[in-house]
Amino acid sequence: MAEAIHKKLQSELEKYQQLQKDVSKSMSLRQKLEAQLTENNIVKEELALLDCQNTVYKLIGPVLVKQDLDEAKATVSKRLEYINGEIQRYETLLKEMERKSEQHREVLSSLQQEYQRAQGQAVGKV
Amino acid sequence: MVNRCCIVGCNSATHNRPLKKNGLTCHCFPAWRRDHGDQVRKKVENDYESLQDRLRTLPDKLSYDIMVPFGPLAFMPGKLVHTNELTVLLGDNWFAKCSAKQADALVEHRKKHVKNTLDDLQKVMKNFQNRADFTDDLEKLTGDTGDFADIREEVINEEEVTKGKPRLALKPNSKPKQEYLLELEEDKEKKEGDEERTTGVLSEEELWARLDELERQEELQDERYRLDSTDTNGEDTTSSSEEEKEADGGSDVQVNGHQKENGWVPSSITSQMNGTNGSHPEDEEEEDCNEEAGNGLPTIYFSHTAEFKKVRINTGKNTTLKFSERNEQKAQAKRKKKSGKSNGHSPHESYKITSPADIYRVFVDLVNGEPIPRKSILKSRSRENSVCSDTSESSTADFEERRAAFGRSWSHDDATHSDTSDGITEEESPTGTSPRTNGRFEAFTGTVIEKDPLPCSIPHLTIAPPALPTIPERKLEEVGPEAPQEPPKRMSKFKATRLHQK
Repeated sequence: MAEAIHKKLQSELEKYQQLQKDVSKSMSLRQKLEAQLTENNIVKEELALLDCQNTVYKLIGPVLVKQDLDEAKATVSKRLEYINGEIQRYETLLKEMERKSEQHREVLSSLQQEYQRAQGQAVGKV
Repeated sequence: MVNRCCIVGCNSATHNRPLKKNGLTCHCFPAWRRDHGDQVRKKVENDYESLQDRLRTLPDKLSYDIMVPFGPLAFMPGKLVHTNELTVLLGDNWFAKCSAKQADALVEHRKKHVKNTLDDLQKVMKNFQNRADFTDDLEKLTGDTGDFADIREEVINEEEVTKGKPRLALKPNSKPKQEYLLELEEDKEKKEGDEERTTGVLSEEELWARLDELERQEELQDERYRLDSTDTNGEDTTSSSEEEKEADGGSDVQVNGHQKENGWVPSSITSQMNGTNGSHPEDEEEEDCNEEAGNGLPTIYFSHTAEFKKVRINTGKNTTLKFSERNEQKAQAKRKKKSGKSNGHSPHESYKITSPADIYRVFVDLVNGEPIPRKSILKSRSRENSVCSDTSESSTADFEERRAAFGRSWSHDDATHSDTSDGITEEESPTGTSPRTNGRFEAFTGTVIEKDPLPCSIPHLTIAPPALPTIPERKLEEVGPEAPQEPPKRMSKFKATRLHQK
């Protein structure tokens, strides 16, 4: 009996740990997205400072490709929107994972109690 | 030079997350890292400053002769041309070709951005700092350091603390009075009622109200005042009040009130040994302050030590309580005056007067150097423990203890009062002297008082009680001002009052 509980406990523990890792991964991704968001904001502002005479280049791999100022502005705006959307997605994902991990935590604690009780009984029996 | 993690075995330079390495766990942000963000931003700002300088000077010449870095280890002479054409990285792999001045504007814009971030960071840091400071302050406030002190008074008997007002939280079982309940069946109910009293600041009006209550109580609780104790000044009062039972039913409340008065009085005395004026309300206030001060933090434990003699004044009918309360006040005043004059007995001992009977106990005439209780006008039952003058040896014994506790001078006052009251009761029931001796008071009759020259010093009635409707009070008033006079005069006054009453 105690053994079975022990095994169950182990499996639950592993699941919980996995969930925790997922949470932290999502968290770091989200932070990266945040950084990109700030950067693109700056780019947008600086593009606004330039006039048509300046040529704008985009670095694609090792190549600097000439871009139109307006085009560049549009691209940057689109990228900004995309980043915002990604952040939202990650937010919801994170919340969901948090909730799941909470559930797992509860299950784990109850299992642990059961295990201890079983162990106590086993000791008593012995 | 890059700062690295302080933990031996971990060479990480970042540590913005819990890191497990070689069995070690490094946690977020060591001290150097905490300020890191701030430093980084400062560095960035400085870099931009120097960049701006460079941009301003660059277009000065068409071309510069420079040493061009050629790999990591070599330089070679070269020329810097097109000094006004700059390719600026806008971020996220975007570049723009612009002039030096435009680049300057871009740099300026970036600098502004960095500064904003820096300011936000500062604000956040300040917020956290404030929170930390607040916590520290709170800790100091609640800790043992600082200017705040917690004054605690261990109240064993709840009754002591409560005054006048019924306290619902009090439990009837918490009082040591229970034992007295056995002695006096009638008192039981009243005692339970007593316990319901709540502590409150007794204003003058409340005092008088309490007096009323006490008077009613007195007749019911003759035996209580004897109890002592430390644990209950209140108990003493209740017993004393019990002794003097009266038919009135409102004694429940009164007992408490009585006790509370006593409770207040001793505490006031203990707290103010040197006696400021002994007005009762003042004492109460002070006690209140003491109690109220108990919310602070370094704890001062404060306990009532004085136990007052209870003086019973049995009017036989009514308003004994007022009488006693006034006497209590007077006694207090006297105590304050005579704190230095007592026989070496602490003036606070048995000083609590919570019932008229207490007064008899407290104020004992000194005849020829010996305390003789005065004639008590209280009912005989209430005189068991009273200090009223009595021919019986038991009363003398009682006197001894009370005197020891109380001090002679006060006893005089008591005797005076008791004399007066006795005189009154005598008139009312001239034959009732002997029955009265059975009570708390050591039976003493008015007769003795009249004959008694009262050589003892006249009690000082420092408190001139306000006019009260009860006869004894009136008499007290009369006696009060007269009390400080020489004994022989007092004799005459007693007679005078008696004659007056007749």
